[in-house]
Amino acid sequence: MSIFNSKFKEIFSAQVVSIFGGLIAGTILVIYTDKILLIPGMLILLPGFLEMRGNISGTLAARITSGLFLKVIGQDKINTRIIRQNIWASFLLAIFISFVLGIVAFAFNYFAMGIFLPKIIWIPIIAGIIANAIEIPLTIFCTFYFFRKGHDPDNIMGPFVTSAGDVTSVLALLIALVLIWPIL
Amino acid sequence: MAHTVKQEHLEQIQKIKRNKHHPLLHQIHKEHKISRKTLFYVKEYGLHSNATKTIIKESIKILVFASIISSFGGMAIENIKTLFISIVPLVILLPTLNDMIGDYGTIISSRFSTMLHEGKVGKNPWKDRDVQELFIQIMAVAIILALISSSAALVISYFSNYAVTMQVVMKIVMITVIDVIVLVLILFLISIIAGIYFFKKEEDPNNFLIPITTSIADFGNMVILLLLIRIFF
Repeated sequence: MSIFNSKFKEIFSAQVVSIFGGLIAGTILVIYTDKILLIPGMLILLPGFLEMRGNISGTLAARITSGLFLKVIGQDKINTRIIRQNIWASFLLAIFISFVLGIVAFAFNYFAMGIFLPKIIWIPIIAGIIANAIEIPLTIFCTFYFFRKGHDPDNIMGPFVTSAGDVTSVLALLIALVLIWPIL
Repeated sequence: MAHTVKQEHLEQIQKIKRNKHHPLLHQIHKEHKISRKTLFYVKEYGLHSNATKTIIKESIKILVFASIISSFGGMAIENIKTLFISIVPLVILLPTLNDMIGDYGTIISSRFSTMLHEGKVGKNPWKDRDVQELFIQIMAVAIILALISSSAALVISYFSNYAVTMQVVMKIVMITVIDVIVLVLILFLISIIAGIYFFKKEEDPNNFLIPITTSIADFGNMVILLLLIRIFF
């Protein structure tokens, strides 16, 4: 039985890329602990918020890759009906899931800790809009780029989306907090 | 002429409702040698279908489920927030651990599903060579990367003025390694039991195992971290 074969190398190298983004995100969390983690309920929405980037952008990349391989999507045309519909779907899903995460965090604060903090609902929504405005175009651009260069985006986009998603998500949460915390 | 016939058929496919096994798909696949994947893609996202609606409809339930499960995990850590935030290397490791363990869930699920489809899994899956190889590979990657990521987190913490003593190093490395070992074991056990169950029910295990294992990975990671923090700190 060969353990250190090509499959091992594939998993290992993909995971190295993935942990790199995670460590950057974690470092940003430490630097801005007072702004991000000290807010009641932030640790409840953080895992779901980080996971969402991979779930939404990862599946977006996978759908586009399938379309490219099947030639249903042309590799030279990004601005097509099917791509636009994919962008809309990913964006709407991200905003809805952000809202759900906000509601869960709000409910936990209110029922378990007795803290009434409706602002917590707005944080993931605003951060979701910011993060997806960066992540979705980046995912589409990179999927097309890797495909045109002759690579299989299915093998590259998973770890790429996860690591890029971690960094953009944490930064978006920070921006959302700076933008809305003093206003609401 | 052949091309015209195919085009007509593809247009017909785009109009049909998204039934699971429409006979037209099988007929076109057999007569015109168009792959099932292409036909499926055309049916789902063709010119006359609303891709936005299809994607939202198919994804929303599983995404809401995954988000809620992840949030439950977060609740566990929220209860020991003050202690957790004070352990800087663990805050740095939090996104990494979540990503890594979720990814292991996806890899185990998809590779075990493929083994089932290929008929490589016998009556006792624990004795199968491929299953054993998958288990050892994932466990090896998990342990090596747990050591690398915990070391990196400790180095970053040191430069953030966190007091990195020998005791802290041991505790962080132990927490990270135990966390990944326990979760890989749980994910493997669930993938094999649930995979065989869904396969026997003639369902594609891929559709069930990946959402199940990634959600369990998220939730389990938080709960095990909570327990380990309580034991070690």
